[in-house]
This record gives sequence, C-alpha cells and structure tokens, in this order.
Amino acid sequence: MQAADRERLLAQIRGVVGDRYAFADPYEMRLYQYDASPETALPDIVVIPGTAKEVAQVVKICADARVPITARSAASSLAGGTVPVEHGVVITFARMDRILEIDIDNLRAVVQPGVVNLSLSQALKPHGYYYVPDPSSQGACTIGGNVGTNAGGPHTLLYGVTVNHVTGLEVALASGELVQVGGRNAAEATGYDLTGILVGSEGTMGVVTRIWVKIQPLPPVQKTLMAVYPDVATASNAVSAIVRTGILPAAIEMMDKLSIQAIEAASHAGYPLDAGAVLLLEVDGTPQVAEELGERMAKVCHDNGASEVRVARNEAERQALWKGRKGAFSAMGRLSPDFYVMDGVVPRTKLPETLAKIDAISQRTGFKICNVFHAGDGNLHPLVLFDAFKAGQYEAVLRIGDEILKLCADAGGSVTGEHGIGLEKRENIRYVFSDDDLEVMDRVRRVFDPQRLMNPGKVFPGEGLTPSHAPMPPGYPRRQPGAAVAAGDDLWV
Amino acid sequence: MKARAQALPGHEINVEEQRRLSVDGLLPSTVMRPDDADDAAGGLHACDLAPAAVVVWGGGTQMPLGAPPRRYEVAFSTERMTRLIEYEPADLTCRVEAGMRLRDLQAALRAQGQRLPLDPPHPERATVGGMVAANTNGLSRGRYGTVRDWVIGIAVAYPSGKVARAGGKVVKNVAGYDLMKLHIGALGTLGVVVEVNFKVQARPEKDATLLGHFDAAAPALEVGLKLARQYLAPAAAIVLDRDSLSEFLPPPLAGEGRGGGPWTLALKLDGYAREVEAAKDHAIRFIREAGGGVEEPEIPPAFWDAARDWSAPADDAVVLRAIVPLTSSQQLVAAIPPDARILAQPASGVVDVRVPAPSAVETLSRLRLAAGVEGQVVVSTAPVALKPALDVWGPPPPGFPTMRALKQALDPNGILNPGRFVGGI
Repeated sequence: MQAADRERLLAQIRGVVGDRYAFADPYEMRLYQYDASPETALPDIVVIPGTAKEVAQVVKICADARVPITARSAASSLAGGTVPVEHGVVITFARMDRILEIDIDNLRAVVQPGVVNLSLSQALKPHGYYYVPDPSSQGACTIGGNVGTNAGGPHTLLYGVTVNHVTGLEVALASGELVQVGGRNAAEATGYDLTGILVGSEGTMGVVTRIWVKIQPLPPVQKTLMAVYPDVATASNAVSAIVRTGILPAAIEMMDKLSIQAIEAASHAGYPLDAGAVLLLEVDGTPQVAEELGERMAKVCHDNGASEVRVARNEAERQALWKGRKGAFSAMGRLSPDFYVMDGVVPRTKLPETLAKIDAISQRTGFKICNVFHAGDGNLHPLVLFDAFKAGQYEAVLRIGDEILKLCADAGGSVTGEHGIGLEKRENIRYVFSDDDLEVMDRVRRVFDPQRLMNPGKVFPGEGLTPSHAPMPPGYPRRQPGAAVAAGDDLWV
Repeated sequence: MKARAQALPGHEINVEEQRRLSVDGLLPSTVMRPDDADDAAGGLHACDLAPAAVVVWGGGTQMPLGAPPRRYEVAFSTERMTRLIEYEPADLTCRVEAGMRLRDLQAALRAQGQRLPLDPPHPERATVGGMVAANTNGLSRGRYGTVRDWVIGIAVAYPSGKVARAGGKVVKNVAGYDLMKLHIGALGTLGVVVEVNFKVQARPEKDATLLGHFDAAAPALEVGLKLARQYLAPAAAIVLDRDSLSEFLPPPLAGEGRGGGPWTLALKLDGYAREVEAAKDHAIRFIREAGGGVEEPEIPPAFWDAARDWSAPADDAVVLRAIVPLTSSQQLVAAIPPDARILAQPASGVVDVRVPAPSAVETLSRLRLAAGVEGQVVVSTAPVALKPALDVWGPPPPGFPTMRALKQALDPNGILNPGRFVGGI
C-alpha cells in the first residue's frame, strides 16, 4: 500500500475508533505480523475497535477502498489463519472481550469475540455449567477465533466441536452491514443456516462481532485413566475396542514413546519411561456411573494389551495425568529447538497403519516425529522435530508435513481436524477436495465477499500473493516456530 | 410445455403417478429416477438447460412443508439411490445414498449395536436425503441435537451438472467450508443432496419412560425445562394435552380415573443403566415438587412412535411449529386457543400445535405475536387451499439478502423447488 493511501485510510479509520486504537507504525505493528504458525506478514494498519458498530464501519471503509481485512484475536492459529498475507487492515479484538450475558435459564451465553475460551467456562463454573469446546490453547485462544476455525479439543469426542455449540452470530459483512443470524433459539431457524456456514469459514466471509453459545451442566464426576502399551499399534487397536464396547468416553488421548520421554523430562506426569504408548481416557458421569465405566474401560484396556492401567483416585491425580498431556507441546523443547505440528485426521480404524507410515517417514528422513493426539476421533498431531537454524531443515520439514497430510487424506481422512486450512494447508486442501468441490465453496465465498477482501490468501489454493513455502521478505525475520510454546504450558493441542 | 418436457431424459408419467407426485395441487409432467450421484447431476443439468422446475422427492413425509411451488415440471425422485455405501462400526461413521429410508439405515446400525440418534417422523417412509433437506428432527433433539450435529459429509448434485462434496468421512474435520450446514434445512433449493455421511453412536444400555400428570401446562413445562438443565437430561421430554395423550395411549394409561390432571409430561430416559435409574429419581422428585402425579406405566412401544409422528399427520390437519428460547415456551403455550392441541418440547423450545382449519389464520398470528422477536412460527403442514392465507414461513429472517444471493449463486436459473422456501426462494 502506498504511504499516502495508508495515511488516508488511517485517518478514516481513526475517525471511527479514535486515534489511540488505530496505528500504522511498523514497530508497533510487529506483534500483529504473526500467529502460532511459522509464517509472518506485516499489516498496513492495525485497528482495535471497541464496538460491533465500529467493526462494521471499519469493514465498510476497507471494502470501499478495496483493502484486505484480517480479523484476529489471540492469534494462536497454528495454520497461519491470522497472518495478513496480503497485508491490509488487521482488526483485533482486545477491547471486545466481554461476556455480555450468562443466561442459565435458556442454557445460553452471549459473548464478544475477544473472550478467552477458558474464561467463559470459569465464569460459568459457579453456576455449575460450562462451555464445552476446549481447544488446545484454551487459556489463550478466544471464542471469536474458535468460531473462525470451528475449533475442537480433547472433549469434542463426545460433545462435538464449536459449531455444535454456537446458535447465533452477529457479523459485519463486506457490505458494511451488521447482521444477526440465528440467536438464542435452538439452531433450527428458518432460512439457510448462515450461522453454520460462517463457523469455520476462517474469516473469509465476514467479521464476527457477537456470539451466542450453548452452555451445559458440568459433569458431576470425570474419571480419568492412564493405560500403558508396548507400542502405538496396540494402543490404537485398544481405542477401537473401547469404542466398540458401547462406552462413550469424553476423551481418548494418545502419546507415543518420544512424547512420553519429553513430557516426563519436563513435567514428571508419572508416565512410565519404558512405555511405547500411553492412552489417557476420560469418562463423564454421575459418581456411580463414572466408577463403573472406569472399571469397564480398565478391563478393555487390559484385555487389549495394556501392561498397566492407572485410575486417578482423586482430582489431584486426575490433574497430574492431564498435566503431562497439556504440557506436551512445551515439553518438546526438551528434545528439539523447533517443531512443526500437523493436524491430520484418519478414520480411527486406520490409526495403526497411519502411525506406522509416519514412523517410516521418520526413519527414511532422519527427522524425529512425536505423536501426541486425540486418538478417539483419529485426529493426529504429528510433531516433526527440527532446528530452524540449520539450513534446509525447515523446507524439509514442510515436505514431510505435506507427505503426512497426503497419507491421511488417502486413508479416507482429512488434512485438518481442528486447526483450519489457513495459509499453511491451502494447497493440501486439494488432497481432499476436487476442483468441482472447491468451485462450489468459492461461489459461496463470493456471495459473502465478492471483492475477495476477507482474509484473502486463506483456505483456497493458489490465490495468495506469497506461497506459504516462499522465503520471507528481507527485514521480516521469521519467528522461531517453537517460540510460542516455550513460555508456558497452557498452549497445547 | 409438452415439447420441453420431452427434451428431458426422464419419463412421462401417467395420471395416477402424477397424482401421487403432486405438490400443493401442482402436477409434474416428467419423473426422473437417477441411479447414482452422477446420474442425478446429469439429470439436473438437463432440467437446468430446459429450464424445467424440479421438485425433489424422497419419502414425501415433509412435502406439505413450505409454500406452494411457483412451477413444477419434473418430479426428481431418489428412490433408486438407496445404498448404504460404507459403514465401519469401529469408526462410528457411515456413508449413505440419499434415498435410503431411515428405518433401513437404523436397522443396519442396530445390527452392530449402534444408532443414529435422530428420530424424525415416519422413518418407514422418510429418507436420509429428505431428513437432511427438510431438517426434520424428532423428539430427542434436546439431548442429542439435530441433523446438523450428526452429518459429517455430503455430496450434492447441482444444476451445473456437477457433483460437489463437502466435509468428509471423519468425525472431526475443518477442511473447507461446512456446506453441510447450508443444505440442511434448505429444502433442496440449493442443490439435490445425493449422499450423506453420518457419525453414529452406540445404542444406550437402557431406556425408560415416565409420565407426570399435571393440572396445568405451566408446571409440566417448567419441570421439563428444569430437567433439561440437569446433567442427566432426558433423551426426550414432551408436554401434551389429554386429547393428544389419549391418541397415543389407551384411556386407562392416559391418566384418566387415576386423578391424573389434563396435562402430561412424558419423559424418555436413556443411557447407561445406572444413569437411567438416577435420572428417574431426579425426574420423580421434580414432578412431585411441582405438584404433579407420577406414573411409570407399562408403555406400549408404539407410544413414542406415535408421539414422534404426531407433527406429521397423514390427514389434512394444520400443524404450526413454534421455535422459541427455552423460557418462552410457557408464554407461548398460554397463548394457544383451547380448540388447538399441543405437543411441546420444553427442553428444546419447540412447540407443535394442531389447529382446526377455520381458526388457523388467527391462531398463527396470535402465536407469532406470543413468540416475540426472538421466536418464530412456521406452518409445518396445511391443506393447499389454506396456504395462500397463511404466510407459511413468516417474515424473511435477518440475513435474507445473503440467502437470496446464495440461491442465485448455486441455482442461477431457479429450477430447484422454486417458490417453496423462505421469502419466495
């Protein structure tokens, strides 16, 4: 963008939000050039609106000037979903972070997009309720961002992902209109389900300014078990066996040998170091039912090759078991300066063969690959370990990622389970969708955004200005991929 | 018109078939029965080129829904597309052709101890594609959600002649746009759903039924809602008047002569055996606290089937459906005139009302007023003669210009169910 154009646009936007909340100083904007993916791009202007109306006005100004708009909150996207790859204006929701309403009677909450996921559940806890989707970076990521990616988390196995818990949205469209779709009702409104199509559209259709979500009663008891296996194949087969018994676990997580070693070095969760794989299983229920299901699952685990099953006897033990899993990503720092995380999905019966193929890739390329993932729904998170300072490693790792996604797709799965296509996987989307499929999606996109200004360069293949694999322009140092997770153990997937 | 119809690849049809495939009094001249997804896309493309107006037929259980079509030339039937294409019980997923009847799908799942926890009316006739297109949900939506919660992938034939997919075969997937949501409840106005992928679940260990009899509707609704806010929420909770109840149950069971009040809260509890017991204790306590009488009758299995089918009657009845925030259902039920009959689902804010034809117009406007700005009332079924006087969908919802643009983008010649959907789409 030309300096004069930028100045003019900045003045217009400041006319809406005030001088303080829009800026274009490259130094100040540095923070907004990246998310939790390895890619970066500097915006032209950053705006921090205070109200939905301001958002709509800013969107209108940008649309009239044909300037790209990228919405962003916590920027914990692992897929580059909030990197403003075509520059333009970044709208961030730091000031729109209020829980507007907790409506226990109607089992709803109404929130602004900048509300941190976990803080909603914390606000609901005294009432005995919670907001179910519990993605990865729950303590940092926002519900607005969750809506963008249709975020998941470990407990989506039983309860579904974000879209299953959103009943309405207020959205600023490219036309500058502020429209409410859906609302407090059950999501069965007349007309097309615009709420449903907007959730997971990764900011390519409009900017969400308010969200109606379902809330539900907290389970009385959560029973957590750890089962130890000689290898990932045996553990994977145990997962299928559990599912076939008719028990509906709330979460089934798996960690492989390398992950266990990293986790134990970092957080001493009590996972046995000689284990080939560990399953973390959780059931929700009344005290009696949870106890009974815990016993039944323990038996199935034993019958299917577990060498040890440990049941958490109290909340402290439960938290200890989860601590390892939650700290898994930050623990990777013990093994490697950087890692690249994938988000492939396979039908759960294909887990053993897929993990074997991933292992073969690791053997062939010499890069270590850890697996820490949502085994219950077949959502893999292979972590490829590397060192960004060694020439050629990052490029090699991207190729490995591509190969892993291809094999997930070939197994009947998907290239992303919860992180989104973003910037990272817009070419990989071809592994699961034909040109005809993508053409229909593009038609839908153009209905909302005829000028292609809403988070351009995402989701669809081959339209961005900068291919995701290309080197960054000089002067924009690439972030170290591990940096986002080195700090705390609340960022996990 | 005749010449145009002959240019289409379908078959001309006889009078009897025409009558069977009529929609709101309009008769088709041609019927198409594609064999698979590609065949369906080819047929649609021919219709688009003509252009000829298409009404998609599954089992026909939801045909009374919507405004009368503006035009109708081709009956597009999914009756030959009935295969269960893939089903891997350990993955808890399946892939089904749109014309498969729901009962057949449930039977295949049941053989593996599994189910799709959706229970729309008349599963013996209703097809998978029809359920998706009409977004028909049964009584267990309060606990198990609606069609949108169980569809994980879709294949749709478009007038362009292309088949396009969205979603996939895995239970967790955010690749590409969630076009499933767009087609669920679109009444086939954006494309013809030809295949659907579902996630499924294990059948519950146990189920039980409990009846609570009350003197008034309000406490029955209140208890239903209170239970919905509990961790052990019932699978289904319905509140019905005595006339409706006696339709489902023989008089001795319907509470008469036992001091039972005229309003009944029927609860279906399911889950693990111990959960069901605990839920039952809860429910009994809540019913008694609200002044109701509890009954645990030997319910004939047909009870829940009849309750499920109540909102889709075979006769010429008028059924209105109100969808309101949970706490508004009492206010809504209070506005229903005494000549109407009621089946309310307090746990999901859905109230079905059967109205005598002469008072339908007045009741509809009264209910729309009572539903307030956050609620809505649609006409689920009505005789065609009445439809012009009933605004079947009500005012177009917010975002309607976007909806119309979506229709224009995917069905530019307007051949799919023209005029039947919201706002004349």
